[in-house]
Amino acid sequence: MLTAEGSSTVYPIANKGSSYWNSNPPVSDGEYWGSNEEEGNTVPGWSELGEPDMRLADYFASLYGFEPTGEQATPPFATSIGLSHSGTGCQSVVDGLVDIGNSSGPITAELGWSEEKANEEVVDHVLGRDGQPVVVSSDIYDAGVTQLTGEQVRQIYQDEITNWSEVGGPDQEIYVIGRAEGSGTDTSFRLNMLGSADASMSGVDTRFGQNQQVAQAVQQNEGAIAYMALAFTSESVIPIGIDFEGTLYEPDRDAENTIFDSDYPLNRDLHQYTKITEDTPNGTDMREAAFMNMFLTDFGQQVFVEDNNYIPLPTADLESEFEKLPDQA
Amino acid sequence: MAQPSNRAERGVERVARVLRGIRDSLEDENRAAVATVGVMTGALLASLVGFLLVSSLTIVPFGIFVASAGYGWLRHQELTAKALAFAMTVSTILILILITTFIFREAIPVIRYESATVLGVSVPGLRLFLQPNWDAVSPPIRFSMVPMIHGTVLVTLIATAVAAPLGIAAALFISEIAPAPVREAVKPGVEILAGIPSIVYGFIGFTILSPWASDQFNILGQGTYLFVGVVVGLMALPTVVSVAEDAIASVPESMKSGSLAMGTTDWQTMTSITLPAAFSGVSAAVLLGVGRAIGETMAATVMLRGVPRLTEPLYNAFYGQETLTSLIARNYGEADGLQLSALFVAGVILFVTVLFLSIGSQYIEARMRSKLGGGQ
Repeated sequence: MLTAEGSSTVYPIANKGSSYWNSNPPVSDGEYWGSNEEEGNTVPGWSELGEPDMRLADYFASLYGFEPTGEQATPPFATSIGLSHSGTGCQSVVDGLVDIGNSSGPITAELGWSEEKANEEVVDHVLGRDGQPVVVSSDIYDAGVTQLTGEQVRQIYQDEITNWSEVGGPDQEIYVIGRAEGSGTDTSFRLNMLGSADASMSGVDTRFGQNQQVAQAVQQNEGAIAYMALAFTSESVIPIGIDFEGTLYEPDRDAENTIFDSDYPLNRDLHQYTKITEDTPNGTDMREAAFMNMFLTDFGQQVFVEDNNYIPLPTADLESEFEKLPDQA
Repeated sequence: MAQPSNRAERGVERVARVLRGIRDSLEDENRAAVATVGVMTGALLASLVGFLLVSSLTIVPFGIFVASAGYGWLRHQELTAKALAFAMTVSTILILILITTFIFREAIPVIRYESATVLGVSVPGLRLFLQPNWDAVSPPIRFSMVPMIHGTVLVTLIATAVAAPLGIAAALFISEIAPAPVREAVKPGVEILAGIPSIVYGFIGFTILSPWASDQFNILGQGTYLFVGVVVGLMALPTVVSVAEDAIASVPESMKSGSLAMGTTDWQTMTSITLPAAFSGVSAAVLLGVGRAIGETMAATVMLRGVPRLTEPLYNAFYGQETLTSLIARNYGEADGLQLSALFVAGVILFVTVLFLSIGSQYIEARMRSKLGGGQ
């Protein structure tokens, strides 16, 4: 059994991958794996994989030397993804409780480690990116606040701007929503938007632990501003454009600069950490490699990353991530 | 009022009698049985030592314990059963001691960090209560407990204001006024109220009450101590009702009959005889309810804002920041280092508060029993 746990932000990707893996669908499925000509279904990235004649988990596991089972719901080894928090996931993998620790922040920030210690103890695998769009409640969006500058967002979160009228909106106090103090989302927002990981957030009125709660609170309160994982935005929780030093990043996929771009300052890497042990000096054993390699294929990036509203890695990053895995059998 | 010391003396006597009993019964037992129980006890103690040392060899003495207990159960059942029951009792107390020690120990780092100097003497932990700022991330890093104590006090006061009058009135009604069929319907109803999981209240509070209050009272955003207090008060209600009802029912019938015989009405008997006689029991009920309110976590965590800060002015219950319990529930997953230790401080404060409340209510209850001689 391959086990992983951690961040609720990485969870949708890892868990969807795990669900596909555990059901070990056949090539004839078409919806989850392979191609079904009768129904006209083919999974994304199928031709790039070379159309292998094996079930999903059988194929990816066999790349790293595991025997295919050829049976439904019986992968060569099962996978299980737990849901907790970034810090918990990092600690669990370090303590050897799970094989993979999912984290939405770098382990250096989550556990207060130095870069050297992190390099000695764990391997950092990035499987996708998460943008942290700034969202506002629909009443504010409808009143015309569809973009803010980075500086305005900083001032709102640091209690220098307290009314929407100061940024061109209605005369309404700003309900500022933050994330659990010290969480991965909180840390990277402070770092990327407010200037440093320990920047003050004196303007925050409410903190929530989970994206779902943030989305719910933005939906049911007027004058709200928040930031959260891209996957949880909706019609009533609307991402706005952010102008960073003259470059406007828009929440529209077809715009010149979008909040899905790698260089959008609020984007962050989604990490899967594996532990360096005596048995695996490279830090990644064959089971871990077989599972994580799945996410680095075009198939994995599209089905597990992009379909979950996260941002797929550019080709160069995919190649460097692939280098971190052991050689294929 | 020499009751407590009398009770203590009686307790000592009882312990002595039990010890004598054990000695006598040991003399009666045959040597093999005593030896088996001796091995069991020794093995259990050794497992405890192994457990405390986190030794992987703990399995050996524990295995011996299980084997000897199994053998003893088959061959010398009576003595073995006594020994096992005794071991269970001791382990309950031992677990309590271990947990207490652990929370106190985990709280030490932040108590050291939050030292304050008074008259040239550095007092550990004092700054936790001297200033109201909490910030676990951006400097100056402070872990004040003041906002959480303030929140807990406000929520508890509001909850008591809801649960005490409603609870006492309901108890009086069930016990003294209601006809039997109504009582039979209402009593289980109250108990079912106790069975509703707190997250259900929290969920209703988060999705319905809080946004509604935010609109109606023109509050910025959602989360108010007022509604957390109301919800927690409703949750404490069943405790108050059932304990207060017991207290009122335990007022001897003779006292009430005597009063009625003097020509008073039912209502006069209730207010001038029954309630005063049951006063200490009713207070115990309210105290137990308050204990529940202080310890309530889920509803508070879901409904509050999670930003530890005092409201302005202090009696402003329309903004709900954080309580001691919700602080722990909200942050345990992400916290590490000093922040984690600060959560243990919140735990220590809760532990001490609830301890005093529960001792207080038990004391009042015992006093009432001896005063009225109700039952025993």
